Amino acid sequence: MKLSFRLNGAKRNDDIEPNQTLCDYLHDIAGTTGVKKGCDTGECGACTVLLDGMPVTSCLVLAPQVDGREVVTVEGLGKKSDPNPVQRAFVEHDAVQCGYCIPGMIVTLSWIREHAPEASDVEIKRLMSGNLCRCTGYQQQIDALKTAMGASSRSP
Amino acid sequence: MKSFQYLAPIPRFDYAAPRTFSDLFDILEVHGRGAAIIAGGTDLTIALKERTTSPKVVVDLRHLRGELGGISVARGTLRIGALATFSELETNPLVGRYANALREASANIGTLQIRTIATLGGNLATASPAADSAPPLIALGANVAVRSRSSERTVPVQDIFAGPKRNALQGGEVITAVEIPADAEVRSVWTRAAVRNENVLSAVSVAVAAKVHGRKFGPSRIALGAVAPTPILAETASEAMTGSRAAAEQAEKVAALAAEDARPISDIRASARYRKHLVHVLTRRLIMQVLSEAGMP
Repeated sequence: MKLSFRLNGAKRNDDIEPNQTLCDYLHDIAGTTGVKKGCDTGECGACTVLLDGMPVTSCLVLAPQVDGREVVTVEGLGKKSDPNPVQRAFVEHDAVQCGYCIPGMIVTLSWIREHAPEASDVEIKRLMSGNLCRCTGYQQQIDALKTAMGASSRSP
Repeated sequence: MKSFQYLAPIPRFDYAAPRTFSDLFDILEVHGRGAAIIAGGTDLTIALKERTTSPKVVVDLRHLRGELGGISVARGTLRIGALATFSELETNPLVGRYANALREASANIGTLQIRTIATLGGNLATASPAADSAPPLIALGANVAVRSRSSERTVPVQDIFAGPKRNALQGGEVITAVEIPADAEVRSVWTRAAVRNENVLSAVSVAVAAKVHGRKFGPSRIALGAVAPTPILAETASEAMTGSRAAAEQAEKVAALAAEDARPISDIRASARYRKHLVHVLTRRLIMQVLSEAGMP
């Protein structure tokens, strides 16, 4: 079937088999390999992307569901030469160990920074509970997010 | 086993996204049980991977959002379109005003990434005994609006559940909306017990909806999830609470009756005995919360 949607701002037209998840399509066909497949059951959040601006676990979305819609992966949030505030803060706070969960984590935390900029620690933890990290214990990532939130309030 | 199935691709199916109800009903008629409806897809994609369903065609409702979406109040009824997501329910002020228990449950379902796409209609159609939207809706006396090509009907929300993961929809029927009496005097609250705070199925969930008139409870309903083959109205507890004295001793009596109304099984999330205990404790806690919000000592 025809699949036509915007990926990281660019129009894409593909002829695809409908029986695949958005996660597999993005990673294996579209080449946005920042989308990681972890549990494949919507528990771990490594495959998180933005669908029409909202975070979803792409392993629980069928590729044909995004026809006519807008998808942003970690690749669309910032570049090595121009990281977004959350990405920059992750480097500052050494918030990365093995790295597998990080692209999905960056997508979720970038959304929190934008949509819940006043979130308390408790609220941040509730909102990021769908992104599991088995290395760090989360504290560095929460610290990084708060730095990124502070940075955004200083420079509007 | 399940994990092995995940290594193989999902079996082939066709995909349809009808733009009119007429086209939708055509597809459902032609394919019958071979058609699977997708709303958000958070349950269906898992079922496809686990091979618990293998449809010939997956039918996407997203172009019908005009009629299946939206949250509004008219003629004393809060109408929530079947495609409303839990994120919408969590943040919508009308839901907060008329269906606080549903708002509370919606904010706790799954994870952020599930709530942004999973729908109320889908939660009901999946018909899990642990569906967290169900106890609030049962306590609030909600009805489900169901439509087929030739008819429309509304059924009390508990009657949409036929058994574990089995809904009571006939072939060719779709859930269009959930309708809740919009009465700002009804206080409704929800809570649950689970092995973690987030990202977990409830071991027990409880909702209480009641009015407090002076020193008495007005019409009161207590509903329970994950303690029977379907979410249930705790009938004897609800009857005992309605019209009774609004006081702490009464909360204890009603909570004990709610535990008797529960018919739980033991499974990986909790034993039957512990579930009854949880129903007792959580129901008492919720009734005390209603009393406290109503300014009762």
